[in-house]
Amino acid sequence: MTTTTLAPVAVRSNERLMAAALAAFLGLGLVFMAGFSPAIALHNAAHDFRHAQNFPCH
Amino acid sequence: MILRLLSAALAAGFLAAIVATGLELALTSPLIVAAERYETPAPGQAAQALPQALPIVLAHAGHDHPTPEAAPEWQPAPGFQRMAFTGLATLVGGVGWALILGAVLLACGREPTLQTGVAFALAGFASVALAPALGLPPELPGQEAAPLLTRQVWWTMTAAATGMGLYLIAVRRSFIAILGGLVLIVAPHVVGAPPPPDATSAVPAALAAQFAARSLAIGAVFWTMIGLGLGWAWQAFAPARNRAHA
Repeated sequence: MTTTTLAPVAVRSNERLMAAALAAFLGLGLVFMAGFSPAIALHNAAHDFRHAQNFPCH
Repeated sequence: MILRLLSAALAAGFLAAIVATGLELALTSPLIVAAERYETPAPGQAAQALPQALPIVLAHAGHDHPTPEAAPEWQPAPGFQRMAFTGLATLVGGVGWALILGAVLLACGREPTLQTGVAFALAGFASVALAPALGLPPELPGQEAAPLLTRQVWWTMTAAATGMGLYLIAVRRSFIAILGGLVLIVAPHVVGAPPPPDATSAVPAALAAQFAARSLAIGAVFWTMIGLGLGWAWQAFAPARNRAHA
């Protein structure tokens, strides 16, 4: 993190985009698991959440 | 920055999940359980199996899921276990949305604060709750609907198009971008959501209407909390060096 004080804007924006890409990937994975996964055990566990949050359920 | 984003999203998802789980258990779960009484058992399943404690699998048998005749699939036991798993799913979903919200904020070059957090979270609510609900209103178990996959595809396309449209309108702001954004937001509804089959449901209309309204209200609170939580946590998790300057 010592680079941030001296680093040119390009490095910071690169780090920013890396963080965003990783977070987006993880986030989509979690949302898929909770809201869309067709695995029946996951579906049953998340059933009431899916209905309450208006994910297409069954 | 990666660690700061991940921890802020975890904190935001956790805060939002606490509030949303409370609301779900108080407002929507009782309606879901009430609606499960109106579900028709799948063909081949004895009618006397209905009162037994397998509401969720019964709900899905004969629709898009394989019938659980061979080996009954796991599902949470009614009562505390089912409530706990609803809470867990809300936590997973909340952290997931918070991560996506944080990613969008950073990718748009915005510093997550209470203001930007809430503003982008409301756009998230509009994209993944409000816009899909226009075509596919929140529904209870036992209501008739189009095949699951077609609805999931329409839901995903609508959420993505609305999100992209809002980005073009609110962030890009040029004339062409606004025009394109409006087209993106309207297009899924012109195409239309997969229509439900022409069949009547035994679920009382009043129950369904109440559920749809409560579902959207909870979604709005959920997203607001995610936005507030992310903005707050991002600032709280700032490196000490940055905070001294602020």
